[in-house]
Amino acid sequence: SAYMGYVGLGAGVLQALERPAEVRAAQHLLQQHWELLANHTCLRGPALQRLVEGIVQAYKSGITLQGNTTSLGRWDFSGSFFFSISAVTTIGYGNLSPSTVAGRIFCILFALFGIPLNLVLLNEIGQLMLLGVQRCARRLEEVFHWQKKASLLIKTCALVTGLLLFLLLPPLLFSDKEGWSYEEGFYYSFITLSTIGFGDYVIGMNPDRTYPGWYKNVISLWILFGMAWLALVIKLCINFLE
Amino acid sequence: KAMCSGKLQTGLLVAGYFVYLLVGAAVFQVLERTTEKQEKMAAAQMKEAFLQNFTHLTVAEMEQFMKNLTEAIQNGVYPVGNESQIEDSSWDFSNSFFFAGTVVSTIGYGTLRPKTAGGQIFCVFFALFGIPLNIVFLHRVSKMLSLLCKKLGKFLHEKGMRKKKIKVLTLLFFLATGILVFLCLPSVFFQITEGWSYSEGIYFAFITLSTIGFGDYVVGKQPGRNYFSYYRMLVAIWILFGLAWIALLFNL
Repeated sequence: SAYMGYVGLGAGVLQALERPAEVRAAQHLLQQHWELLANHTCLRGPALQRLVEGIVQAYKSGITLQGNTTSLGRWDFSGSFFFSISAVTTIGYGNLSPSTVAGRIFCILFALFGIPLNLVLLNEIGQLMLLGVQRCARRLEEVFHWQKKASLLIKTCALVTGLLLFLLLPPLLFSDKEGWSYEEGFYYSFITLSTIGFGDYVIGMNPDRTYPGWYKNVISLWILFGMAWLALVIKLCINFLE
Repeated sequence: KAMCSGKLQTGLLVAGYFVYLLVGAAVFQVLERTTEKQEKMAAAQMKEAFLQNFTHLTVAEMEQFMKNLTEAIQNGVYPVGNESQIEDSSWDFSNSFFFAGTVVSTIGYGTLRPKTAGGQIFCVFFALFGIPLNIVFLHRVSKMLSLLCKKLGKFLHEKGMRKKKIKVLTLLFFLATGILVFLCLPSVFFQITEGWSYSEGIYFAFITLSTIGFGDYVVGKQPGRNYFSYYRMLVAIWILFGLAWIALLFNL
């Protein structure tokens, strides 16, 4: 029952926060809609309607109709690789998703084996991290004879390092490469590493920007280690709760 | 020597993982590339046809309109139809509740998402505490389900079956009924309520219960369909028990 209450509380707060912005966006669009019609009175309602529906449809398939440029990072190898990662880690951005039947069936099978594989790997990495931290604590205890204090100090240090490395510093990189604000970068980092993965922000998808060659690979590594770290933190939290 | 083999195992695991991803990427590319090209051509043709019919519209105006429209769609505002749909909110309580559920379960469809900075920050902290809460909750539910399993095992044991056979049998039974109840039956249900094909329903069910949650298919979002009032709640319950079933499968 605490669970339901918690979810309900979140719903209420989000509603209060998001509703006004949504109303404004809708009003803005309708205003443009009518402006366009007013400027070109020969544009019949139905024809425009069909165009709009067509655009909506295309958007849902992931196609944007702006300019002559082909949109970036779709099903080329880099895009497909990133998609595989998003499926196997269960992040599931959704900005790219299979539209063919064969693609979907393969996706299900791919995820069916890939997700356990991913979990095993994350567990391994998490264990290695934990081991490293414990070893450091032991060595500190030996060298400085700090006993219990060393363990707590090391654990806090590790937590803070992980926080910096995976959640607090990457938004700076995103600010530079994607042009997001720091808050947006932080939001993206957390949503990705927690595997929620809305897909409203996705790296490397802006057609107006150029990305260095190492960018996507570094991000993939960040996702892997960051997820392992966050999973470890959450596991320790749960052990504490239960 | 044990340490060495442990390190080798980890190394193999990492290598295997990346190979798996690479193979998947190649296959997806092959399967999806051609369809994508076709859809792009169709969209461009549609745009051309529209421009041809209304030749006095300058290309610049058209581009501007497209840009604004795309932005609106990205924000979840679909301007289809004449009436102002400002009254129908995406953020009414029922939808917000569903959204909060997709956050704590880490499904994260993304069709509905916070756009304000305040909403985004709240979302982060909400998830930070909500995800562990969700895991603990699922744990409890899966314990309930495992009690049923144990009862079945006990029943079979009394009938004189060997322990190993019981274990295999209960696992299979659990797997089979789970697939039926959580994957096959809901897909039939969605065929009726959403108008999807059976395979689309299975795809949606799998993507949801695995918490991948692409968001290409989401319940209750088809325009022009009437959903009975507790529809989303029912779907939420299905998701809850389905996730608990998967959690239990992992533990078995």
